[in-house]
Amino acid sequence: MLKAILSGGLGAALLLSPSVVLSDDAPAPRPVTPIFQEEQAAESGVDTVYDGDWEFMVGGGVSTFDCDDDGFPDMLLPGGSGKSVFYHNESKKGGPIVFKATTSGLEVDNLLGSYAIDIDGDGIKDIILLRRGENIVMRGKGKCQFERANETWNFDGGKAWSAAMAATWERGNTWPTIAVGNYIDREADMEPWGSCTDNWLHRPKAATPQRKFANPLPLTPSYCALSMLFTDWNRSGTPSLRVSNDREYYKGGREHMWHVDPGKAPVLYSEEEGWKYLRIWGMGIASYDLDFDGYPEYFLTSMADNKLQALVTLPKDGKGPATYKDIAFAKGVTAHRPYTGGDWHPSTAWHTDFQDVNNDGLVDLFIAKGNVAEMPDFAKLDPNDLLVQNAKGNFIEMGLEAGIASMNVSRGAALVDFNLDGLVDLVVTNRWKPAQVWRNVTPDAGHFIEIGLKGEGGNRDGIGSWIEVKHDGHVLRREITIGGGHAGGSLGWHHFGLGKDTDVEFRVIWPDGTADEWQKVAADAFYWVSPKKLAVRVQ
Amino acid sequence: MSVVIRRAVLGLFFVCSCLLPLAAAPARAATAPQEVVTGWYKLILELVRHTSNYSPPVAARSFAYIGVTSYEAVASGSDNLQSLAGQLNRLKTLPAREKGATYDDAVILNTVMEFAVTHFFDRTGPTGQHVMKKMAKLMDEEVTQSVAPDVVARSHAYGQILSQAVFDWSKTDGGATVENMGFPLDYKVSGKPGHWVPTSLIRQQQAPLLPEWGKVLPLAMPKGSTCRLPSPPAFSEKPDSAFYKEANEVYTAVNGLSDEQRTIARFWSDDPMLSPTPPGHWINIALLVLEQQKADLPTTVDTLARLGVALSDAFIGCWDSKFEYDLIRPVTYIKKMIDPKWETLLITPPFPEYPSGHSTQSGAAAAAMTHIFGDKLGFDDSTHQADGIKPRHFANFHAAAEEAAVSRLYGGIHFRSAIERGLTQGECIANYVNALKTKK
Repeated sequence: MLKAILSGGLGAALLLSPSVVLSDDAPAPRPVTPIFQEEQAAESGVDTVYDGDWEFMVGGGVSTFDCDDDGFPDMLLPGGSGKSVFYHNESKKGGPIVFKATTSGLEVDNLLGSYAIDIDGDGIKDIILLRRGENIVMRGKGKCQFERANETWNFDGGKAWSAAMAATWERGNTWPTIAVGNYIDREADMEPWGSCTDNWLHRPKAATPQRKFANPLPLTPSYCALSMLFTDWNRSGTPSLRVSNDREYYKGGREHMWHVDPGKAPVLYSEEEGWKYLRIWGMGIASYDLDFDGYPEYFLTSMADNKLQALVTLPKDGKGPATYKDIAFAKGVTAHRPYTGGDWHPSTAWHTDFQDVNNDGLVDLFIAKGNVAEMPDFAKLDPNDLLVQNAKGNFIEMGLEAGIASMNVSRGAALVDFNLDGLVDLVVTNRWKPAQVWRNVTPDAGHFIEIGLKGEGGNRDGIGSWIEVKHDGHVLRREITIGGGHAGGSLGWHHFGLGKDTDVEFRVIWPDGTADEWQKVAADAFYWVSPKKLAVRVQ
Repeated sequence: MSVVIRRAVLGLFFVCSCLLPLAAAPARAATAPQEVVTGWYKLILELVRHTSNYSPPVAARSFAYIGVTSYEAVASGSDNLQSLAGQLNRLKTLPAREKGATYDDAVILNTVMEFAVTHFFDRTGPTGQHVMKKMAKLMDEEVTQSVAPDVVARSHAYGQILSQAVFDWSKTDGGATVENMGFPLDYKVSGKPGHWVPTSLIRQQQAPLLPEWGKVLPLAMPKGSTCRLPSPPAFSEKPDSAFYKEANEVYTAVNGLSDEQRTIARFWSDDPMLSPTPPGHWINIALLVLEQQKADLPTTVDTLARLGVALSDAFIGCWDSKFEYDLIRPVTYIKKMIDPKWETLLITPPFPEYPSGHSTQSGAAAAAMTHIFGDKLGFDDSTHQADGIKPRHFANFHAAAEEAAVSRLYGGIHFRSAIERGLTQGECIANYVNALKTKK
């Protein structure tokens, strides 16, 4: 794996990083302003409200996935105390974003969020429903129809209050390992503080072939997880499980990372391994290799200041201290307070994601914002953020200019190219108000490429792979994960902005560490990629 | 009342899962008036931890007014307790009970505690609001179940007017409104050598916490500057200066901490929003001692009122000195003069160094508690047990205060002068609290 990283572009990154191109004191050019146009509910067809009282102060996560193989991402929105709604994407390429609410089997109450995942490796997306109450795994039957599979797959849905999930395929397995993050003990409403319930790790049952989950393993101690992510932070080839916890409710808690080594019991990273004591109102995780060094940075949403973590020391041979420094202030992504609307109180941040919204080759950062509920010391008018990265690696708030500065009480979101025009669109869920959909219409956007993975074995979507794209003298690098964000995520095309590049070299490093050869393809297109095969252009 | 709900209410009374140890809780009648008070206090300690603008000075202020409210609720019907009206600053009179009429102390106390808690914690989050409402409803059912309706009505009405009067008085001190968690939106750092500069990478904390808090009107001490400290050692960057030597002491201490010293630093860390804060730590010590001593109602309310006032005045006096001298923090000085890679054990609080807030308030608290219970009362402090931190035993209150004070040196966040003089300042402030007369 390490060899693949180094031969792939680290050397080039060191030689040609933007800081070399721009002198230290030269101001970075202002990035292209992304422009989003809100699609009204009458046109988009999306009007689901994330409703409910105290029990739904967290959650609201969105999942997107293509369940009918037409290439267009479909969507599941939670209703909180109301029913969730499945939306079939009926957009035309490059046209307005249009959804149609369709009966799918995913319509349930008490839904906080969901993640798509192909559990049984049949090439059809399955969905895990995170609920206040029993979590449900829904098997995809094709044509966007789903059926309950808890019993068939021995998935214990428990009866907790769940808003976080992450998945990985442990080495040698054809069946996924799924971590579910649980929140407060929902029976302890007189003493909710300190009542965090155990997160669960659902590993495959030992059998050949693997077709079921073993009974869940409690991840003790647990501290009210609101986001989880399996990530190969040190490029060792074995992802670890990051857990972001809400300090409002834990006692003795902190941010966590677990060793999840195949065949072994999970073990927490320790201070001796460099894992520092950090206590935040952890609500969401986004990751991306922002500085082109081969290792992801992690953005953690919270209340007031948010965190952007970068490794202090780069690992060698997959080993090194798990010590991170906070570079949010330096990079301009603290996003601690509303930037418009006149409310100066501290912000409350939820879902987050790194995506390139103006196709300039640099990922940007979206943050969904919204008061927990009637917390007067935090902003009531708390616009969502769109922090656009400039050539020096700093971020500039452009939410207002971009047109996405909604003052609704937002929670979940997805940044996905819904109309397959190469521009990342946006959907955001709101407490007590309908979800909002924005179509990205940025006029001066750059070129793009979107890549879908077709992995081997049970891991059909290549979860744990790295996609690398050469651009502007460095390597854009995205780890393919299921998890993170806040209570929802997207499974489908992986988007890269390319600036002025009309063709591009890319490769995939698959979960087993095997790196494909670099291949050059035309920009502004969609490609399916399988191991050791030439990319297949599909759109 | 369902079994589950009743158990939940009794949990806040007896199980002490908030902060007090389970094993120490004796079985008593649920409606004993002092248990109404301590039950609400256990919720208050949780609310302090989970209300975002509750920094230590703000928490101490609420402890003072809530303590006075509960004290007056009892004193108003007691032949042995003397009202604090006429003794505390600006508190001239308070409503009296109707002569000859029958009242129920538990009902009055529950009324005033509900009023005080919901008013002083009106800015807590939805979870706190949810628990407060539920607590109030269930406690009311608990305390009124065997009391005549006319007595309940009369006691409830009196509790309302009494707590409203104390609350109105509280609003005259200049400390009632705290915005942006206490961090001013505009603040100019002095930029002078030896003065405070931000030590945090958190944007909100580029201004210091509550720079005007020293101007809040105290309750027992005449004014914020009454116990102002002399200047700290003169700032100097010379290695043979007293200032450098104090910084070097912090540097050396942190680099060579024993396990015991590290434990002490963390035991007294008392971080806002992650603990009941330093004043809440002392309130919990008081609850533990009251439990240990099986204290009666007068002792319970007297202790919580005196301790609350001492803590609140201590923070006002401490903040007066902090912003008078605006002293640099050890981490800033040591990184510049001794070791640029040096890190503190504890997070450096976002405000000037001199004196140490924990030292001042612990000095005041220990003096107030010693005044009530004497200097020979040992106790086990289990405040942070639910956070996985083992209890510590102290031979008396001063021993606890001294350990709290020196913990800030072990944590790397204070110089010795700020610690030792902070304790002295706290004792000065407590003298005004100890002069209050509560027994007729």
